[in-house]
Amino acid sequence: MSEPRLVIVDGVRTPFSKMGTDLAQLGADELGRIAVNALLTRTGLDPAIIDEVIFGCVGQPADAANVARVIALRAGIPEHVPAITVHRNCASGCEAITQAYEKITAGRGSVFVVGGAESMSQIPLLYNSSAAAKFGKLARAKTLMQRLRVFSSFRPADFKPRIGLQLGLTDPVCGLNMGETAEILAREHSITRELQDAFAVESHARALAAREKLTEEICPVYLSGKSSKVITMDNGPRKDQTPEVLATLRPVFDRKNGTVTAGNASQITDGAVALLVMSEAKAAELGYKPLGVLTGYAYAGCDPARMGLGPVYAIAKAEDKLGLGVDHADIVEINEAFAAQVLAVLKCLRSEEFARTLGRQRHLGKLPKDRLNVNGGSIALGHPVGATGARLVLTSLKELERRGAKRALVSLCVGGGQGAALWLERN
Amino acid sequence: MTTLEAPAPKVELKTPPEAKPQSIVRYVTDEQICILTFDKPNSSANVLNKATLQELDNHLDFITGNDQIKAVIITSAKPSIFIAGADIKAFADGAAPEQLGELIELGQSVFNRISILQIPTVAAIHGACLCGGYEVALACNYRIASPDKSTKIGLPETQLGILPAWGGSTRLPRLIGLPKALDIILAGKTVAPKQALKYGMVDELVPREYLIEAARKRILSGVAAHPKRKNRLLISLSNSGAASELIYRRAKGTLISKTRGHYPAPLKALDVAVRGLSGSIERSLNLELEAMEELAQTEACRSLVRLFFLQERAKKISGGKDDSSEQVRPVQKISVIGAGVMGAGIAQWASARGIGVVLRDINSEQVAKGVASVSKLYNDGLKRHVFTPVEARSGMDRIYPSAGEFPLSGIDIVIEAAVEKMGLKKDIFRKLDAAAGPKTILATNTSALSVSELAEATTHPERVVGIHFFNPVHRMQLVEVIVGRRTDPEVVRRAVRFVQQLGKLPVVVQDSPGFLVNRILMPYLIEAGHLFESGARVEDIDETMLDFGMPMGPLRLIDEVGIDVAQHVADTLAQKFSSRMDTPAVLNRMLEAKLLGRKGGRGFYIYSGKKDAVVDAEIDRFQRSKSSANLNREELRNHMVFLMVNEAARCLEERLVGSADDVDFGMIMGTGFAPFRGGPLRYADRFGISTLVNEMDQLASRGETRFAPCDLLKQMAQDKRTFYPGAHT
Repeated sequence: MSEPRLVIVDGVRTPFSKMGTDLAQLGADELGRIAVNALLTRTGLDPAIIDEVIFGCVGQPADAANVARVIALRAGIPEHVPAITVHRNCASGCEAITQAYEKITAGRGSVFVVGGAESMSQIPLLYNSSAAAKFGKLARAKTLMQRLRVFSSFRPADFKPRIGLQLGLTDPVCGLNMGETAEILAREHSITRELQDAFAVESHARALAAREKLTEEICPVYLSGKSSKVITMDNGPRKDQTPEVLATLRPVFDRKNGTVTAGNASQITDGAVALLVMSEAKAAELGYKPLGVLTGYAYAGCDPARMGLGPVYAIAKAEDKLGLGVDHADIVEINEAFAAQVLAVLKCLRSEEFARTLGRQRHLGKLPKDRLNVNGGSIALGHPVGATGARLVLTSLKELERRGAKRALVSLCVGGGQGAALWLERN
Repeated sequence: MTTLEAPAPKVELKTPPEAKPQSIVRYVTDEQICILTFDKPNSSANVLNKATLQELDNHLDFITGNDQIKAVIITSAKPSIFIAGADIKAFADGAAPEQLGELIELGQSVFNRISILQIPTVAAIHGACLCGGYEVALACNYRIASPDKSTKIGLPETQLGILPAWGGSTRLPRLIGLPKALDIILAGKTVAPKQALKYGMVDELVPREYLIEAARKRILSGVAAHPKRKNRLLISLSNSGAASELIYRRAKGTLISKTRGHYPAPLKALDVAVRGLSGSIERSLNLELEAMEELAQTEACRSLVRLFFLQERAKKISGGKDDSSEQVRPVQKISVIGAGVMGAGIAQWASARGIGVVLRDINSEQVAKGVASVSKLYNDGLKRHVFTPVEARSGMDRIYPSAGEFPLSGIDIVIEAAVEKMGLKKDIFRKLDAAAGPKTILATNTSALSVSELAEATTHPERVVGIHFFNPVHRMQLVEVIVGRRTDPEVVRRAVRFVQQLGKLPVVVQDSPGFLVNRILMPYLIEAGHLFESGARVEDIDETMLDFGMPMGPLRLIDEVGIDVAQHVADTLAQKFSSRMDTPAVLNRMLEAKLLGRKGGRGFYIYSGKKDAVVDAEIDRFQRSKSSANLNREELRNHMVFLMVNEAARCLEERLVGSADDVDFGMIMGTGFAPFRGGPLRYADRFGISTLVNEMDQLASRGETRFAPCDLLKQMAQDKRTFYPGAHT
């Protein structure tokens, strides 16, 4: 008997909105709830038969610990259905799917709601430990004198917040910011500023051209409050992106010699994705026509300071396991954390020299542009870190359907020095 | 020391075996605290009737005859009721006045015994603690309540046309001061535990599981015997002669203008509460008794008690003859098609009751408007403390917005609330019919169109039913369940059950133009329009009906509904009943002049901001003759009321509903028809049906044929029958 296979029945996502814009007021739990709510509505699934809800989230909201559980309950999934939040940095949305894959193949359940949710807008500012200690003392102070004494011990520096977002994007092991790791790749693989900017321009152009297509995977977000508004589109893609415009931006991570700018890096964004996945047999039993199958996947580790090359390692590992290489993919999504990083990945994929460092005789393959990120990527659409992995799966499955094509490869680099590669297939 | 595991005393230990089932269980603890637990056998409620009061009296004998007993705790074993009050049947039609007097005196004397016990007494309250239930608690030294949702505390007697007469009108002002006490008693208020604590109606809030232990601690610490309460000075000040006189006058003025003298109970209660303060408890209790005996004889009391029973009945009806068939599963998810005012109102109400609602409209802009309306209803509820923030958010979470087709699997009921156009609705129903599973009910919220005709657009007309909510949904309790020609009885049953699940009151009506409520209301509104058009003043028309006891004058009501909507409904009915209804031309002329009613700021009245509406000074320009200018108020009233009565009788004649009760209940709950009058048919009985028929014949003979009494009325006049047995003719 063959192993049960995981199929992706349907999926939907909120629009992706730049940090501080349309969706800034909604926490990750609310974004996730909206996506799951829409998923349940459009699939008509009886939520009582769900075996587990698995959501990826990187910056878990302080007021919604185990945000997957909060999302599940708020979306009307019955109490008896358990929920778990998973974290593999930028691949958290993939992790949610692959966890379901493991459970289905192990016979531990057949219906899962998975996805990712991230509110980058609401990642908090933190007090430093000196200030936190003083606030602790203040709370314990009983008399007015004690209180005054603690008050007088505060110093201006105590009120300088530590920016949670910045901390999250800094690798604690190598001490480098994600952008700095991209600068390393740019230097070592000679990815010029011009190449990066051109890549970014292309990402925006493709995302704009795909507007109509992308609405198929988007559920509107109804904002109510003082003014009621409905958000139906991603607000990241920009019409005015040209190499000339991008050239005016200053490098962010290495002001003097750097090449990575806000224009050729992924946008910081809010959004959520929800997917309904099942065992193939269950989907057939319930009469669903799935979008596709998760054929297999691999996660691989690499140098944290060069985390951007993660996809190369993961794609190689997946090939070893599945026998599927870059050439087998009709379309490929490599997450655009940084233009420099994607371009470095492409270079390494086709480099015999790099292949040898992996113990291989041949390079992994050449990836022509017309198969890569055909509807734009995170540089244009934005990168809500916990959700992107699930979006790439959804977007590529929909594109396979449109093209009547068979296989898609989805890959992401992961902060901390990892890569993810997922192979999807349409029947 | 006993600790937390102590409470919930088990009964069997010390009670002597008795043949008769008891309603009160007595248990004496090792510390000699006597716990009296109300636990009426085979019932979910505790009520106070003669037998229970006597039982309580016997227990008091035991307590006073036993020096060892150190304290008394009164509590209940029911999961959601402490004591719901007196058995209301004592006030219903046919109850003998002497028996009522006896019952009141018995209660007063038993409660008085509690209040003069030399040992501390504590009421440990969980669940509904109303009327007599709270009066028992008031007789104790100390009151502890659970902060539970089911705990409700209050004295709602005036809503039944009576007053608290087991010491409530006497003791509450003494406990919390006259102003607050009147706030509770006159309006017949029931409050949540938190508010009861704030008012001082209870002394503290303790979780249900710890009630007895908390009572025990307060007894042992001496707090129960000598509770320290705040504001004693302020209370004695407000209860003093001069202050109470001032309060009295003020309250009386407000009451008279509010009730127009139709509701004697609040006035009496005010009288008793204020006058009772200036003498002994006994004297005050006597005042309570006298007032009660007087009030129980009033028509208002009879009508209000009957209304209470009709409401209770509506909560329980099954909507079909067969009660024994399978249990109807509670509805979990519905869909509302159309996100306008009604659709959003229904969606909000259902979601607040824990039901998931797919709110659907044709595009995301329309859905957004609906979601915004739902959100606004929740925010308003938040401001009025109807919801906690968590409840409001959970309610919003249950709204599933959808701007496109979606599978109907898992949807128990679809409620269509689209624009009132038959073609459009048929289209919607055809699509729903194709998409819905066999168990899904397809309901329409139409207020004017034929349910049967709509059903014919589907392949399964038996699952189509009308579920007609009134506007605004969150305020109107009545819902008409409309039975189409081919509607399956089981579908009706499920619809009725659904309405009950929503906490609304269903009335089952056969499909017919205007159904029940609008059918009876429209001739009245139309007549008001004609009277105005032929010279009667707006003020005279509206004041006449306010005096009659309607919550709003008819022309003002037309403004509220919207001139355009009123015209549309009137047209629909006038088409079907052309011999007796025609839309007054004034509506059309007002529309041509761009007067839309309240929503447009101008109708018969002018609405500006928060100020009270005033009659448009130039409204006479829409009048066409002066023929009605000289009608006096009685004539005006008869014109308008007769037509309502006539139409109400026709509804019964045509068997649109099961009984006269249904007609009256529908009109009171659906239109606010003067509750103290008991509805149009009850009113007819009291007016005298032959007098009514005579006067209507006279009007009809002057060429105003719409007044011609229907066959049922004529026949009843001939047979000297009434709609209700025992009503005076």
